[in-house]
Amino acid sequence: MDPKALAFLAAGLGAGMSVIGAGVGIGKLAASALESAGRQPEASGKLQTMMIIAAALIEGVALFAEVISLLLAIK
Amino acid sequence: MSNLSEVKTQQNVGIAQAQSSNLQITQTKSVNLKDTTQSHSEAKQEEGNVISDILQEHLLDHHSYNFFNVFHIDLPVILYDKQLYLYPSMKSMMAEGTFTEIHHQIVRKDTQQPPKLDMSITALVMFQWLSILLLLFAFITSAKKYKKQPKTAPKGLQNMLEVLVLYIRDEIVRPNISSKRLADVLSPYFVALFFFILVMNLFGLIPGGHSATGNLAVTAGLSIIAYFVINGSAIFHVGFSHWLKELTGGAPWGIWIIMIPIEILSMFTKPFALTIRLFANMTAGHVIIFSLLGLIFMLHTFAIVPISIGFSLFIYTLELLVAFIQAYVFTILTAVFVGLTTAEHSLEH
Repeated sequence: MDPKALAFLAAGLGAGMSVIGAGVGIGKLAASALESAGRQPEASGKLQTMMIIAAALIEGVALFAEVISLLLAIK
Repeated sequence: MSNLSEVKTQQNVGIAQAQSSNLQITQTKSVNLKDTTQSHSEAKQEEGNVISDILQEHLLDHHSYNFFNVFHIDLPVILYDKQLYLYPSMKSMMAEGTFTEIHHQIVRKDTQQPPKLDMSITALVMFQWLSILLLLFAFITSAKKYKKQPKTAPKGLQNMLEVLVLYIRDEIVRPNISSKRLADVLSPYFVALFFFILVMNLFGLIPGGHSATGNLAVTAGLSIIAYFVINGSAIFHVGFSHWLKELTGGAPWGIWIIMIPIEILSMFTKPFALTIRLFANMTAGHVIIFSLLGLIFMLHTFAIVPISIGFSLFIYTLELLVAFIQAYVFTILTAVFVGLTTAEHSLEH
């Protein structure tokens, strides 16, 4: 197969699979944060802050993968 | 076998068609540009180019600013290559003849090498300065109001800024940085960081605007400042020897050989992650909006218009949210990192 086509294939697959990982991660995070906010509504402000920090960290890893995929697709 | 040969002949036909269409393109281009009988593939290719041109125009940095072809601003080009070269615009640089532009890159004419330093005032620098001016205006006018009438309740712009500034101080900086003195010293930095990133993000959502945070150099600059703030405040607050001791992670000396490289690496990965996060978030939204609008030109049908307009409106409002969230995330993560490096570990032992 043409190496360029393989690179595009890898870029698409990489982007998609990293999104699956990030989606599962942020979904689980939000689910457990909501559960704890339901149990302890007075702590929801603090939970929200911690949730956003954790979501940003998960998203950061996914974005690394996206940038690598983007580089594969452009180069 | 027959299937295989069929596929092969189909492929051959496809290749031949592609070649012939390529030939047609070159012929039509070379023979007569006014010819109205353009081949379909050429029109399609040109539209694809138009979309990618618009995308590049929007996402990349330029030496001029173009507002929907209504007005055009030439921005100065400042180069350093053994001596300082100053040009009022790209055109005058080309006319002077020492440098030329090849594939959107400035190179020396004689050696074909890029100059050592390119310190030009580009479009993104212009937008950064615009956001600085906007913030200076907003904060100076509201600060004047506080001086003039310290006892009256804030109104309008002053009220909005007070809410946000107090939120940053009370919800971002103070809970994360345990030392109250250090938190108060660093509060102005965090307020400036939040508003600067926020305004730069929002500029990208105004028609004709560019978001400077969608450029790696800008976010890397912000992260380098954050790196110095994180480590500088640790050194000033807990002392240099304690800061060095933190590099061992508080582990017994037997595993220092693993801990020290990890800690040094994490010192650099934190700002690196901040850089990539902000850059990728701001770029991704713009690319998605352009891809959705590009569908209309790719598919040649009106049926797709409501779908792509609807989705791009949705993404646009999401981008509005992301602009705030990313400014918030950058600020709070910097605050968390400062808090981690300056934390008192006396309670742990």
